[in-house]
Amino acid sequence: MSTVAQKTIRPHHLMSRDMMQAFYRLLAVALLCAVLTTFSDVFLTMNNILNVLRQTALLFLMASGLTLVILTAGLDLSIGANVALSACLAASVIKLTGSPLLGVATGIGCGALIGLANGILVTALRIPSFIATYGMMWMLTGVTYYYMAGETIHGFPASFRHLGSGYLFGVPMPVYVMVLFLLIGGLFAQRTTWGQQIYAIGANPVAARLSGVPVERRLVLVYAMSGAMAGLASLIILARINSAQGDIGEDLTLPAVAAVLVGGTSLFGGSGTVAGTLIGALILTLVLNGMNLLQINSSWQPLVTGVIVLLAVWIDTRTRRIGE
Amino acid sequence: MSTQATSLTAPLLSRVPGVAIVLILLSAIFGVLSPGFTTPANVANILTQSTILLLLALPMTVIIMTEGLDLSIGAVLTFSSIVLAVTVIATGSPTLAFLAALAVGLGFGLGNGVLVAVFDIPPFITTLGTLGIAQGLSLLVTDGQSVVGIPSSIEHIYSGTVAGIPLPVGIAALAYLATHGLLYHTRFGTYVFALGGNREALRVAGISVRGMLIRVYAFGGLMAGFAALLMTARLNSAHPTAGIGMEFDAIAAAAVGGTSFERGNGWLFGTLLGVIAVGVLRNGLNLLAVPSSTQVACIGAMVIVALFIDGLRSER
Amino acid sequence: MADVPLFELRGISKEFPGVKALDDVSFEIRAGEVHMLVGENGAGKSTLMKILCGAYRADRGSFFSSGEPVTIRDAGDARQFGIAVIFQDFTLVPYLDIAQNIFLGREFPARLPGFIDRRRIYAEAERVLDMIGFHIDPREPVHSLGVAQQQMVEIAKALSQDARILVMDEPTAALSDRETELLFAMIARLKAKGVAIIYISHRLSEVFALGERITVLRDGRKIADLLPAETTPDQLVTLMVGRPVDTTYTRPSRPAPGEVVLEVKNLSGPSGISDVNLTVRSGEIVGLCGLVGSGRTEVARAIFGADRVTSGEIRLFGEPMAESIEASTRRGMALIPENRKTQGLALARSVGDNIVLAGLRKMFPSGIFVPRRALKAARSMIDKLRIASPTPRRPVGTLSGGNQQKVVIGKWLNADAKFFIFDEPTRGIDVGAKSEIFRLLDGLVHNGAAVLMISSEQIEIVHICDRAYVMRSGRIAGELAHHELTEANIVRLGIHQ
Repeated sequence: MSTVAQKTIRPHHLMSRDMMQAFYRLLAVALLCAVLTTFSDVFLTMNNILNVLRQTALLFLMASGLTLVILTAGLDLSIGANVALSACLAASVIKLTGSPLLGVATGIGCGALIGLANGILVTALRIPSFIATYGMMWMLTGVTYYYMAGETIHGFPASFRHLGSGYLFGVPMPVYVMVLFLLIGGLFAQRTTWGQQIYAIGANPVAARLSGVPVERRLVLVYAMSGAMAGLASLIILARINSAQGDIGEDLTLPAVAAVLVGGTSLFGGSGTVAGTLIGALILTLVLNGMNLLQINSSWQPLVTGVIVLLAVWIDTRTRRIGE
Repeated sequence: MSTQATSLTAPLLSRVPGVAIVLILLSAIFGVLSPGFTTPANVANILTQSTILLLLALPMTVIIMTEGLDLSIGAVLTFSSIVLAVTVIATGSPTLAFLAALAVGLGFGLGNGVLVAVFDIPPFITTLGTLGIAQGLSLLVTDGQSVVGIPSSIEHIYSGTVAGIPLPVGIAALAYLATHGLLYHTRFGTYVFALGGNREALRVAGISVRGMLIRVYAFGGLMAGFAALLMTARLNSAHPTAGIGMEFDAIAAAAVGGTSFERGNGWLFGTLLGVIAVGVLRNGLNLLAVPSSTQVACIGAMVIVALFIDGLRSER
Repeated sequence: MADVPLFELRGISKEFPGVKALDDVSFEIRAGEVHMLVGENGAGKSTLMKILCGAYRADRGSFFSSGEPVTIRDAGDARQFGIAVIFQDFTLVPYLDIAQNIFLGREFPARLPGFIDRRRIYAEAERVLDMIGFHIDPREPVHSLGVAQQQMVEIAKALSQDARILVMDEPTAALSDRETELLFAMIARLKAKGVAIIYISHRLSEVFALGERITVLRDGRKIADLLPAETTPDQLVTLMVGRPVDTTYTRPSRPAPGEVVLEVKNLSGPSGISDVNLTVRSGEIVGLCGLVGSGRTEVARAIFGADRVTSGEIRLFGEPMAESIEASTRRGMALIPENRKTQGLALARSVGDNIVLAGLRKMFPSGIFVPRRALKAARSMIDKLRIASPTPRRPVGTLSGGNQQKVVIGKWLNADAKFFIFDEPTRGIDVGAKSEIFRLLDGLVHNGAAVLMISSEQIEIVHICDRAYVMRSGRIAGELAHHELTEANIVRLGIHQ
């Protein structure tokens, strides 16, 4: 058996594969930019570029937490619904207290609690993560609609809105948040012992457990982080559109899943990077933004995202099979 | 008949409590809370409203028994319904429209099956992707608007009666009997148990696992096509968000009914009870004026309660 | 006609990378005969049977069915000659009933296409069940049956396919005495109907009670083909173990062992172990042997905190242990599991990642992971254990079995473990790498560590260990001091007499 494995996986081949994958992704970004520049006059305008960056930032924030979950071979389908509930609760708190700070705490706290609940469902009750978080998605949607009862909360203090629509040195604020969490996420995954354990859990949960890794606790942490990132993303949306409704963020889950998978994180766990997810989010945003610019009906968006997800997983399955 | 009796009663004795207790509890609660609940008209209403869900929950049970999942079934139902509506308006032929809806459902089902069986993509991600595709197509064809102006011949399918029985109830009963026959009396059904219970046994017996999986998902799509007929008739229109989330109710009904996600342990009659439980819950909450979206959270809670009761029983 | 065997294998050889599993083995089976196949773990019994049923293809050798030369290329061919195997892990579908399982894939068609003639299936099932004297309703779902009954269903399934040669691989391993009696009665009935039975067993009592002929395999060779009347249990044991002494490794002499490191008292658990007592001192290697399935791995897992225990006490350095792997590893315990691919390593990750995994907490107490330091630690471990990997960045799945095993050991050395449990440390490793692993073990105890070593290779236990415990049916059957430590003694204690 071992000799077979020896023949099929060549180390230099594998190492270059990582680099090749990053290269292909950047090539895709360049190609997309080239195509969009050619076919749209608007693409290369400052306004649009800032817009793309803002959208990328938002998608990345959701997808970065999800990356950690997928690294453990799990999935979190509740992040879109999490955004909705977190945004609505945060909006209420800001309206009620007038304090943006309390609102931020509420949004992130609510998101983290939802993630914690997911983590408990997955570890203590041993429900497969895609079922648990899918059920959670619908339950959250229900709670949000009940809470909002069709109302809209709008009009927040300027200091809070700055978080979503403000600029610093001509760069939108969400981009700074994105860079901050790219650093935090990257450092957490690559430069902490917990991050290393998360990779190990995804690659082989049995071996990780037998090596003394507290698998359950790390999993709960990862789902809580994914929830907290959704909560953070909800604040950015809230600050940007200056109003909260029950259906906010509803259609962001599938693009976030797509961004993680396009970014090279394997659905089967153990390999991928937060930085890759940034490229994935950029690619997804360019595709969706490009479709807008080319005046393609927005109804194409879920369809295209669905196809991208399937293609990404198919490529992932194939490379794994070759790897084995 | 005796054979059927044993295959039904054995699981009946061990499992009814979970879903039956939930049903009895729900009926009691709503009977007390809202006086209109126990009227014959309302009971008939519950049954009629449960028919569409049953058409989805039956194949969902079969799919879950193979350790799979179909998240796309609600979106496929929606798109089939839209195709049906558009076709009947364009051609004036209900038959042609119905066939078109079936073809759309079957096509998506086959697609799911091929992606799962041949491309080896996990079922939940496959059907999450095709969910997006079906949803996108629905929006594209309708531009986000309702499709109205459907001939009344279609509407009659939902509102009509045969020998005093509402037509949709009759259709659902037929679908239930057909699925029962399929699952318990055909080779296909036997292999469904084996797909979830022991794929190696199937391989050793020389049966194509891939071929069987494709058929299972195709069955799901086809049933979504049937359900599209009832849904279009019920709404007398087609709407791009009409069936979204129906997969949740279908999964919940199967789970409440005692179908597990492991080892091919499924029970069709339990799913029937589960569908009625979901119907009772939704109807009762409607009578109490609880908004539809919030009912979902209650369904989730009901699933947890039923699983908890079953868990208690099996530990004893 | 009595001299023409029903089926015959001649000169079968089979090689796996690095191992000669079968070397020129001939084997014949006659109608109505119970032919016992005995030998130690790894003697080649399973490989021979897998070749017979078409799961493996022989490198050399020929087959004869009733004297006619034939070929067996796959399971279908074997079935054609009436060969059926009942393996330990059944091919049954839990939520189908007995009849449906017996005829899975061969359902009788009803008039409607695709439908099953249920009446006929149940009637036929009843007929087959009756034939083997198994009185049960064929409508009973299989998941509600006990192991023994499931085995009966497997046998019925084989016979319904007109099997004339039935291979049973340790069929009584999971059966109670009463169930065993039923099985033997059934075997007698099958024999009377002319079915030939190849019976693999470790229980000498069975070999003599049932067998009409005994074939002994050892190290992939056929050692003897005898009649029960010609031999005694003691002679049989000698035949099974009497191989030339392996001279590839001789252990250096060790100083007297030090303090007690591990002490296990009256340990019982739901995994089937009961009343296990053992001690391991620093500076000694203690063997834990017995047949596969005798509870060795379960004891190891219970000590390590991986499985629940119901009663008993585990003390490490005199302190009682909590039932958790985390606590065990924190206190310096290490487990080198029996399957390094599924339990020991994250194959897709690098050598370095795997080496530092268990020691992360010790190396980086602040929680900040410093890749440079991790790489340095991995490199020094690669040098120390002479792991054949040019760089710690190489995926561990690309290494050979021996080097992978060294990575697992390195993982625990890096975590400063003081007590090591080795579960089959040399499985699937070639001879050269084996002696390197042994040298490593010696090095460990030389530096004061304590080692508990599980192995199915008695010769390894004899050569490496200072003393050994022998397990049988979840219990410690006996302890062998160094001067008593011989292969024959291990086999005698471990086998059901």
